[in-house]
Amino acid sequence: MSQSLRPYLNAVRFSLEAALTLSNFSSQEVERHNRPEIEVAHQSAELLLQPMHISRNENEQVLIESSVNSVRVSLMVKQADEIEQILVHKFTRFLEQRAEAFYILRREPIKGYSITFLITNKHTESMKTNKLVDFIIEFMEEVDKEISEMKLFLNARARFVAEAYLGEFVY
Amino acid sequence: MTDWRRIDIDAFDPESRLKTEDLLPPYTTQVTLAELQPKITQLRNLSTSGDISAAVQLAMQDPPYSADGATKAAYFQAVLDTLSQVRQADIANIVKQLSLDQEAVLVKYLYKGMSVPEGQRQGGILLAWFEKLTQASGIAPITHYLSDRRTV
Repeated sequence: MSQSLRPYLNAVRFSLEAALTLSNFSSQEVERHNRPEIEVAHQSAELLLQPMHISRNENEQVLIESSVNSVRVSLMVKQADEIEQILVHKFTRFLEQRAEAFYILRREPIKGYSITFLITNKHTESMKTNKLVDFIIEFMEEVDKEISEMKLFLNARARFVAEAYLGEFVY
Repeated sequence: MTDWRRIDIDAFDPESRLKTEDLLPPYTTQVTLAELQPKITQLRNLSTSGDISAAVQLAMQDPPYSADGATKAAYFQAVLDTLSQVRQADIANIVKQLSLDQEAVLVKYLYKGMSVPEGQRQGGILLAWFEKLTQASGIAPITHYLSDRRTV
């Protein structure tokens, strides 16, 4: 792991560990409802905690918003050029369309971020909290690698295709 | 009105919900920029003379919780300048000298720093501070930060 990535992931890990202390909390507004309070933020400010921004630079950031029974973790994946923007968009969209299979994935990212996780007290009750933290850290490590790998493949393919097509015109 | 069942009638009752402003502790006095200016000057003097440890200690001593946005921003800028002047090797020692309350304030400035563009450009140094802080006192300052309604 590179020297500057370690403190970043370390900060995210500690912040998540602090934020993931969730409890079951029924809605104060609607009887017999139990909903993630972070998603209905405009209704009861006393249930929300301070948001945490962690940033490595302008392009790589994490926003952790926590409330009494839910935590929202938004990642901004590094996008250096237009190809990476497209790749990140396609990749996160692919995952989000299959959000039920990932349990903690939110179907839409928060504005300005690439992908968002929504962890509720149901998840922390049925899964191990430290494994959830490990998963998010691992995801952050892997996604950068994955995107740059895809970009390399894409470039290699584009070069091959261009050579095959334009080879026709060489006499 | 076609869909009157969907009207949120609780929104019209000012007593029914707590807003963010209602949660702030009642401040008796409000710190102004003029009152804070000597402290900012002292902070800059300390950090230019190289006594960073004392500068950080001073910066983390009663921050302007009750001030308005512009005053907080001015103080924050001074704190950010101080924090970013430290050499990586010295951070651990400075953090060791801070009390628990000062650590709680430091965490607030670190998170605030990483949420604004000026701080994001210094992301590396702020993350180094954060790492040393968690090595010194673990998760405790972050937990304090989460539930503290006084913002910097």
